[in-house]
Amino acid sequence: MPESIIAQMAVSGALMGLVYALVAYGFQLTFATSKSINFGQGELVMVSAFFSLTLINLGLPYLLVVPIGLLFGALVGLAVERTGVRLALEQKSEGWILLTIIIGLFLFSLAENLWGRDDRPFPTPIPSAPIRVLGVDVTPLEISVLVGVLAVMGLIELFKRRTLLGKAVEAVAADRDAAELMGISATRTIVLSYGLSGGVAALAGILVSPITTVGPTMAAALVLKAFSVAVVAGLESGFGVVVVGLFLGALESLASFYIGSGWREAPGLMLLILALAVRPTGVFGKAVIRKV
Amino acid sequence: MKAFLAMVLCALALPAAAADTVKIALTGPYSGGSAPMGTSTRDGSKLAISEINAAGGIQVGDKKMKIEIVERDDEAKNERGALIAQELASMADLSGVIGSVNTGVVMAGDKHLQEKGITKIICPAAGSASMTQWAKPDGPKQLSIFRFAAHDGIQAAMVVEEAIKRGFTKVGVFYDSTNYGVSGRDDMLNQIKKQGDKLQVVASEKWNIGDKDMTAQLLKTKAAGAQAILIWGIGPELAAVANGMAKIGFKVPLIGGWPLSMANYIDNAGANGNGALMPQTFIEEPITPKAKAFIDAYHKAYGVTRIASPVAAAQGYDAVLIFAAAVKQAKSTDSVKIREALEDLKEPVNGVIAVWVKPYTKWDPSNVETHEAFRREQVVMGMVLDGRVVFANEADRARLAGQTK
Amino acid sequence: MLKRLLLVRGSELALFLLLAAIPLLVQNTYALGLLTLLAIYGILLIGLDVTVGYLGQVNLAQAAFLGLGAYAAALGVTRFGVGIPVAILIAALLCTLLGALLALPALRLDGPQFALATLSFTALTTIFLNEFESLTQGAQGLSLSRPPLFGHLLTPRDFYWLCMGLLALVWMAMRNLLSSQWGRAFEALRDSPIATDAMGVGTYRHKVAGFALGSGLGGLAGALYAFNFQYLQPHAFVYELTVILLLGVVLGGRKSLWGAFVGASLVALLPNLLSNRFLFQAISGAGLALALFAGIRGLTRRTLRPFQAIAPIVATGTLVAGSFLARNTEDWRKAIFALMLFSVVVGLPEGLMGFAGGFLARLFRVAPPPLPAASPLDEALPPRPADGSVLLELRDLKRWFGGVRAVDGLTLLVRSGHVHGLIGPNGSGKSTVANVVSGLYTPTEGAMLLRGAPLPVGSLFRAARAGVARTFQNLQLFTGMTALENVMVALRGVYRVPLPLVLLGLGRPEERRAQADALALLEFVGLGDEPRTPAKDLTYGAQRFLEIARALARRPEVLILDEPAAGLARPDVVKQVEIIRRIQKRGITIVLIEHHMDVVTQLCDLVTALDGGKMIAEGTPDEVKRHPKVIEAYLGTESPADGAATMNPAPARG
Repeated sequence: MPESIIAQMAVSGALMGLVYALVAYGFQLTFATSKSINFGQGELVMVSAFFSLTLINLGLPYLLVVPIGLLFGALVGLAVERTGVRLALEQKSEGWILLTIIIGLFLFSLAENLWGRDDRPFPTPIPSAPIRVLGVDVTPLEISVLVGVLAVMGLIELFKRRTLLGKAVEAVAADRDAAELMGISATRTIVLSYGLSGGVAALAGILVSPITTVGPTMAAALVLKAFSVAVVAGLESGFGVVVVGLFLGALESLASFYIGSGWREAPGLMLLILALAVRPTGVFGKAVIRKV
Repeated sequence: MKAFLAMVLCALALPAAAADTVKIALTGPYSGGSAPMGTSTRDGSKLAISEINAAGGIQVGDKKMKIEIVERDDEAKNERGALIAQELASMADLSGVIGSVNTGVVMAGDKHLQEKGITKIICPAAGSASMTQWAKPDGPKQLSIFRFAAHDGIQAAMVVEEAIKRGFTKVGVFYDSTNYGVSGRDDMLNQIKKQGDKLQVVASEKWNIGDKDMTAQLLKTKAAGAQAILIWGIGPELAAVANGMAKIGFKVPLIGGWPLSMANYIDNAGANGNGALMPQTFIEEPITPKAKAFIDAYHKAYGVTRIASPVAAAQGYDAVLIFAAAVKQAKSTDSVKIREALEDLKEPVNGVIAVWVKPYTKWDPSNVETHEAFRREQVVMGMVLDGRVVFANEADRARLAGQTK
Repeated sequence: MLKRLLLVRGSELALFLLLAAIPLLVQNTYALGLLTLLAIYGILLIGLDVTVGYLGQVNLAQAAFLGLGAYAAALGVTRFGVGIPVAILIAALLCTLLGALLALPALRLDGPQFALATLSFTALTTIFLNEFESLTQGAQGLSLSRPPLFGHLLTPRDFYWLCMGLLALVWMAMRNLLSSQWGRAFEALRDSPIATDAMGVGTYRHKVAGFALGSGLGGLAGALYAFNFQYLQPHAFVYELTVILLLGVVLGGRKSLWGAFVGASLVALLPNLLSNRFLFQAISGAGLALALFAGIRGLTRRTLRPFQAIAPIVATGTLVAGSFLARNTEDWRKAIFALMLFSVVVGLPEGLMGFAGGFLARLFRVAPPPLPAASPLDEALPPRPADGSVLLELRDLKRWFGGVRAVDGLTLLVRSGHVHGLIGPNGSGKSTVANVVSGLYTPTEGAMLLRGAPLPVGSLFRAARAGVARTFQNLQLFTGMTALENVMVALRGVYRVPLPLVLLGLGRPEERRAQADALALLEFVGLGDEPRTPAKDLTYGAQRFLEIARALARRPEVLILDEPAAGLARPDVVKQVEIIRRIQKRGITIVLIEHHMDVVTQLCDLVTALDGGKMIAEGTPDEVKRHPKVIEAYLGTESPADGAATMNPAPARG
């Protein structure tokens, strides 16, 4: 096979991998402050995508739909925190695992009934005709994914490092009790992180929908891969997430080409299990010291 | 504990058989990728049933009986199909079942119905295996399963014919990994051989339900020099193929099974879907008064301007008419008697698709066509154009319009 | 006794007799099919409950084992022509093996990472079943016909009895398992994995065994599933199913065989429940009533947080509203399930059976079976010869945490039969020494020898097995168990019956022996009249004593007590000293880490003082107390302005 096809597959795959990275980044945001993640994040992506689709079909301009969609995602994220996570965190239990799964199931069923079970196309002003860059075809859609992901991550990293609120987030992440003693409301910080995570998920939905179409099952596969990325990169490193996402996307694409499209998910999954087995805190993460 | 017992007993409690209705079950996927076909079939059937009931019902012996519907969504899942078939098989007063879209569901469930002698008309599932599973040397002597659809044997032949007619010599064969896709591929390969091996298969690629990205398969096919793609799958993935082709700049015709007419293919592929060719038993054009009446009634009853799957809807409609005719002839709601009548319909049935004269004959395990209603003449080639399905060949439209009925 | 037996065993017997009798009373094959499914799911959920209920982990792999077992049995029949018993055996064994293989990496993780690992396994299994067409026929599905059993072709009714019979056997085996040391071990590792390892009950190996067992049951259920449907497809065994199974276990009630059964009923019968609107309305109404009752009771008694009380009411209320408004309840199936589960997880975390069980227990106050008499102390805690030879030796031990040198070159000799004190100001490294010796941390440098042989490093479990027992500065009791059970779980050398025989119920005699030994140890520390008190309900002092009794159950070579008198009131300190003296009289060597100087003075033969990770003094308690470096470490140097009165670092006597 000509190298150009391999390069093509790798690049297209890598760009899709950025979507996993974006969703994984959402996991990091909540894990950092609360050691919890939303197992129903895929449904959050999907519901935000459907909501945005409805707005577009109502005639709203794309540039307006994006921020409203992000806001919607943030609100759903807040709802998830309030109903599924806060209680468990207060009781210092891991009940949020089950609760976020349940909420995801509920959102899935809601979406099926509100918007139907079919996959629908997502109109976007961004053209889909490919451009030739360094010997491979990339579509503007794929480039928009790249831009969106880097922009969002850059903004949030900036926020964490430069603003006082960002510092508060870091503090709660490091030691919740100590931060509370210093007058930082851990609950509010966690709420913020879930809101941001929801917004990030909504962005992922908006960016990926034109490529994959919108449907109730759109995010199920996406989320598992985002998990892979988050775990392999470690639930603490933003940079790691981008790198691992690119890598995993390319790997999947090549796997589907060489082994067969049905096996495309397999490398990612096996990677996840291996990574968990060998280094549970992730390739870029830090080890934890137990205290008795 | 007690609550559980109560639940069990309630679930077991069967309503007393209403002896003055003809109970028909409608089943199919009303959710998932096959849903447009399932819901269209059901809606077409329901349209026919409501028209019959409006006229008082079916004449069964000396009284008129209305049709009572039992609806079941199999979600295109085989184990749901099995459970539903078991449930229907144990219903005391069920006269028959009409429906099923997915070959796998049929394979998993129909044996329960056959065991109890419940008459079923498979509609519109086209996978050959649905009927050929009974056509074995040790197959049953009596069969209560019929099919009302243009089966893949016919469709594959037409697809290959069309490819040869258009002068292609190198083709790619694409199919999904379900029973439908795999048996469709087998049918196509068989037909290529039967029609003189004039087509060279340069690529053979498959995908799974739910796949969105077909780039790998398409790049390989493009590199192999295919001039057309013969394809067997269902709506959403077919659209992914069409869109993928546009993305890599690989514009060759798609010729394949009838799901290329599904609304979820046409809508999701948009402009990229134009030019796809597929066998159709019904095109949504008012070329005859009967067709017009049907289309208008359907649009009105369901508040749409386009039927999601015209083939499924028309077949669902005609299947009910044929079943009703059998009930009338049998003068009974008993499923076995209805079967016997179905195998020997004396009166022609005026359907939307055609006038049906003795569509079925007595079951013969060595000839599956005895329980297949469609022949080649009732099927035409359709083409996707700007959001609708139209006749691919003008000659076909003229021929069908000429049969004024 | 009889009453309890009647109630518990009697109700189970009644259930199974009733279930067995149903096909004789009712002729409906569809209902029979559902009940068969119920039996299959029952086995499946019992298996899932092992990880979810007993190990307390969210396990998302059970659907995969159902599928693997089903395919294994189906392939056995279609390719190798085996009969039903062999097929079932193959399926169960294969899945036990695969479960163990998955558990080995996965169970090193906790919480969300474990859930993810099991989730990936499920996804991988689906891919494997779908893509390996040459073996499994992939998406087209695998057909099989049920072979005859011992020459007799099974009717649906016969098959139903087979499934119910297997469910009954599994039930009994699990009951035997969970009332044995295994059940205690599972409970312990939920409450405190660290203490479990430190008591020589391997957390990891029990988790792996539990997971493998649960997976094996999943495989067994899978074989029955294959024979039931006689048609398999990969996409039946996906994440969605696993979530429904999980939710069935939670709804029915975790850690409960009845709970698994109730959950299985719900999962099997739910579709039918929903298609009958009236039934659904009745049940959701009942749910709302229950939520209101539990919520209001919880709010008034302040046992529930406001959210816990209100959220279930809102959720069940939505269900009731939906039952009237929804056009087609079937369409909303997943949402309905989600709402039901949400109510239960938030408002009724013990699940339906947990709630009902507590209720019934209060209603029918049944006395627990009587305990045997305590063993003679010499059996429970045999005395040792205390000859003053070197028992534990630390050579230049170092433990650094990055830049922090917690232990920085410590050499120590602990002699057999001694009480060796270890003192020092906060941060001097005392607890770190205890943690390194007991295996929680690996030494950065240096050696540790027990009776001349190297002590296993970095593993609480292996150190415990080598003969090191300890208590903890912050109590690490198994709060979910009674005092007696806390001690029983740590007993060494009592549990010899292998797992398969335990399943058959042959572990009873050693259970009685364990109870007797544990009782003796409780008496030894003065808790002889509180065996059945839950550990969390004991007074703080009693809890400290209990931890000591638990450590003694190890019959250790060396006992490390990490600040045993911390936070104790004066009378309890006196008792504590008495207990330690008695332990020493039995010849057991003790390393005592303490701040209470009078305790140290009264008990210790030798004292080592630490500061900054290094030894600064060693000798008798009096010598060490007066050592200038020790005084400096605790109090700082005298400034010339202060008087020259002797500074006694001990707290005021009295």
